[in-house]
Amino acid sequence: MEMVELGGKQVEIDEDGFIQDPEVWDEAVAKDLAKTEGVEDLSDNHWKLVNYLRDYYLEYNMAPMIRKLCKQTGFSLKEVYDLFPSGPAKGACKVAGLPKPTGCV
Amino acid sequence: MDLITVTREEGLRFSIRIRNHVMTADMSVKDGGQDGGPAPVEIMGASMGACLATLVQAYCNTRGYNDGDVAVSLTIEMVESPNRIGGFVADVELPKDVPEGEKEKLKKMCLRLPIPASLRAEPRVDIEMF
Repeated sequence: MEMVELGGKQVEIDEDGFIQDPEVWDEAVAKDLAKTEGVEDLSDNHWKLVNYLRDYYLEYNMAPMIRKLCKQTGFSLKEVYDLFPSGPAKGACKVAGLPKPTGCV
Repeated sequence: MDLITVTREEGLRFSIRIRNHVMTADMSVKDGGQDGGPAPVEIMGASMGACLATLVQAYCNTRGYNDGDVAVSLTIEMVESPNRIGGFVADVELPKDVPEGEKEKLKKMCLRLPIPASLRAEPRVDIEMF
């Protein structure tokens, strides 16, 4: 674990860059996390995915299955990877401030 | 079935030989390799994708659906304890002239293909050490 500056505050991340406390997440943190995944600017479509993942996590305390993510957001698998080249788990979940998924996305 | 041989090149990079075809497998840098090729789990995903693509393309060829090609996008859901593949998620793009009503039939056919059907039947894995 290490402390890094994200969104103007000190945030603890694991060895893969996932924040450890979902409570510290905000949009500024998300923007800086996105840069670590090679996404310089978050478009409306990025936010649609990120917000869906975040809402799902806050309700169920887990990440959704990939197929559910696609169906609920209306994005194909390819479109999800176009938005987050490292994928829904390593990319989108990280930006959404979720813990590193052990399964699902 | 022809023999598949896997021989070491360097580090965790291996050559896979099947008849006169050669592929490379390696682990990512994070997992101790040099990323000189896809990881074995990714090759398994590729096998699944190729299996789906070839069947669906053959089906379309037979029926004369030719307004575009078949393409597959696929990813793998990993699960833990033990670390393994929990699922394959595949989007299959079809030629535009495939009737809507045939898509569900095609989906069922895909599940009966050798790789999806084998995985669902839990094939025996018989290993000896020499």
